[in-house]
Amino acid sequence: VSTVRLTLAASPAAVQRAAELLDRLRQEHALPADAVADMQIALDEVLANVVTHAYGGDDSRWVGLRVTVGAGLLEAEVEDDGPPFDPLSVPDPDLDAPLEERRVGGLGILFVRRLMSEVAYARRGDRNHLILRRRLTAAEEDARGGP
Amino acid sequence: MPVEVREEARGPVVVLEVRGRVDSASAPVLQERLAGALGTPGTHLVLDLAALEFLTSAGFRVLLMAGKQAGREGRRLVLCGLSPRVHQLFEIGGFLDLFRIVPAREEAVTAARDGV
Repeated sequence: VSTVRLTLAASPAAVQRAAELLDRLRQEHALPADAVADMQIALDEVLANVVTHAYGGDDSRWVGLRVTVGAGLLEAEVEDDGPPFDPLSVPDPDLDAPLEERRVGGLGILFVRRLMSEVAYARRGDRNHLILRRRLTAAEEDARGGP
Repeated sequence: MPVEVREEARGPVVVLEVRGRVDSASAPVLQERLAGALGTPGTHLVLDLAALEFLTSAGFRVLLMAGKQAGREGRRLVLCGLSPRVHQLFEIGGFLDLFRIVPAREEAVTAARDGV
């Protein structure tokens, strides 16, 4: 098990830093590309949400990121001290609406839900904690082990 | 890798080849290039996504805005080259039915030019 912790300034660059960290872990741990991409997409949604909404663009604030590579599992935890907000409470968007009426609100969390194996939210003290887990499939684990 | 957009003019059709990743950091780049292409009246648009690694909801927001603008102005926007990965994201987001999507670029250029 390997864990990396970062404290990121709450700016759009936080998303890039997170993506770069995942790229590095992918190489170091021979992680499957799809699993890493799933996590990168989920973290983009979650971090962008914290930067834009929880902190309203105030880049003097911070966001904590932990990424753990475990046996058959890629896990990330995002921590912020913004107002209590459970992203899992956001309803799914109406996917049947035609183009002119389609909205993207809720689309990000829909991706998080569908791409992650498990998502858990907790408010502890004055902080939001969101845990994202992407389990590796048996095929992904086999591929990781080499030929 | 951040996003890179290559442009090719094919008569009345502008082909934008989107390479890399469209996330919340790079979506404004795609938005700017789409706005530039849609800024030329009368053109139709092809988005070739064959070299797109993935896109997040920020990328879908940009596509949605471009699709709405094209629709309002009676211009065609055709997508092509979706990898299985990108196709999966379109499916999750309910975007497969919102756009004309064809397999390959030449077919997309024809569809955008002739409206077939």
